[in-house]
Amino acid sequence: MSDLPLISTPPAAEAALVERLRAREQAAMTEFYDRYSGALYGVINRIVKDEEEAADVLQEALVKIWHSMASYDNSKGRLFTWVVNISRNLAIDKIRSRQHRVGSRTQGLDDSPAALRQAAPDAFRPEHVGLQEITSKLVPEQRQVIDLLYFGGFTQSEAAEELNLPLGTVKTRARTALKILAKLIR
Amino acid sequence: MKDFQEYIESGRLEQYALGELDPAARAEVEDWAARYPEVRRELDELLTGLGAYAEAHAQVVPAGLRERVFGRVLAEIGGVASAPAASTAPVAAPAAVPTMRVSASNPRPAETYAAPAAAQRSGWAIAASVALLLSLAANALLYSRWQQTSTELVAAQNSQARFAQTSQVMERRLSSTQEQLHILRSPQEYKMVALAGTPAHPTAKARVLYSAAAHRVYVDVQQLPSLPAGKQYQLWALDKGKPVDAGVLAANTAAGDSIQQMKDIASAQAFAMTVEPVGGSAGPTLNTMTVIGNM
Repeated sequence: MSDLPLISTPPAAEAALVERLRAREQAAMTEFYDRYSGALYGVINRIVKDEEEAADVLQEALVKIWHSMASYDNSKGRLFTWVVNISRNLAIDKIRSRQHRVGSRTQGLDDSPAALRQAAPDAFRPEHVGLQEITSKLVPEQRQVIDLLYFGGFTQSEAAEELNLPLGTVKTRARTALKILAKLIR
Repeated sequence: MKDFQEYIESGRLEQYALGELDPAARAEVEDWAARYPEVRRELDELLTGLGAYAEAHAQVVPAGLRERVFGRVLAEIGGVASAPAASTAPVAAPAAVPTMRVSASNPRPAETYAAPAAAQRSGWAIAASVALLLSLAANALLYSRWQQTSTELVAAQNSQARFAQTSQVMERRLSSTQEQLHILRSPQEYKMVALAGTPAHPTAKARVLYSAAAHRVYVDVQQLPSLPAGKQYQLWALDKGKPVDAGVLAANTAAGDSIQQMKDIASAQAFAMTVEPVGGSAGPTLNTMTVIGNM
């Protein structure tokens, strides 16, 4: 899929970038930023739902990535997987501490099943074309589960409770959705 | 070797991919993946799937925030100006390079002290130093302007590229919307066939727009029951009682989000929809019939 350049980056190009980042080359950070910031920002913003806060988390994530580059192990997965997880964890920490203050966690996701069906048609953004293509392959129920797990920071049991579904159903939906998503890349 | 298959089915890998596991459980998954290529492959597939989902949500960092974020990151990971200056300056002002190099490595050039004896020459030396300092300041100023301009140029090029992409997508959307509008506004060309729910699915409702002249078929869903995993709705045209495959419904069509053009149908008296395995079947599974309607 041409819309997904990061996932399909050739491993050699990725390894070269990792090398340069490890060598503390600042120009490599610029390149990293140009290639990855959009994807990382998208995930973070989707979790914290606030542009300013998302920018802060992105900054935090980039600095963390820079400093922990030595601990990245490419045999365990792609660079993108690793950096997106760092960003996602920081963002989830952010909303958890926020929800801790507010004292409610169910307010975190505004995605009622109805809202899930259409991805914000008023705010048209071309970078969401890939999203439309991808989400049209998932049924709304699968997308709802994946969104809760991935962007809401819910565990599968928490998601089951939140959606009032048996844990087994949540597991099946998550698994099926992930498999459908994986097929889109090949 | 049955146990790795069981491990794959256990849901552990999904938990790993979604980041639900503590370090010990993570290590266990990695251990399994290292021992069994099948587990590795399954895990990679799940990670890739999630990566695609993450990447599909990519957004451009808003212009104002971009400068702030990247500026702060550079400031935190080390000095900003020094590294790129040496490599980029020659392009900007070739004449200035030697001066800048001298200044960077040795702020007080040796020539200035070459002949301190003659007062006149020392006067010249002072003048030269002043000129050098002025030139340095000017170079620094020009360099920072040049850098700013090139950053602005990159930003402008980026936004131009984004705009071009936007308008392309818009154009595609517009033409598909116009096509749909044309279909809806040509009642003499397109006949509307209402498909009502079967007794098993009384609330299901959809319609087919059929042009007998052009053989074109479009389907527009109002309401259909949600499907179990691995199933898809398939539309059938009934021609003299014989079912003809008219194609399967994409998920967003089945959800009622858009009109979908189906396979061309030469002749039909009725349309019906059944639930079939993903990809569709050669013949309809009649007991799953969800909606049906005559022309």
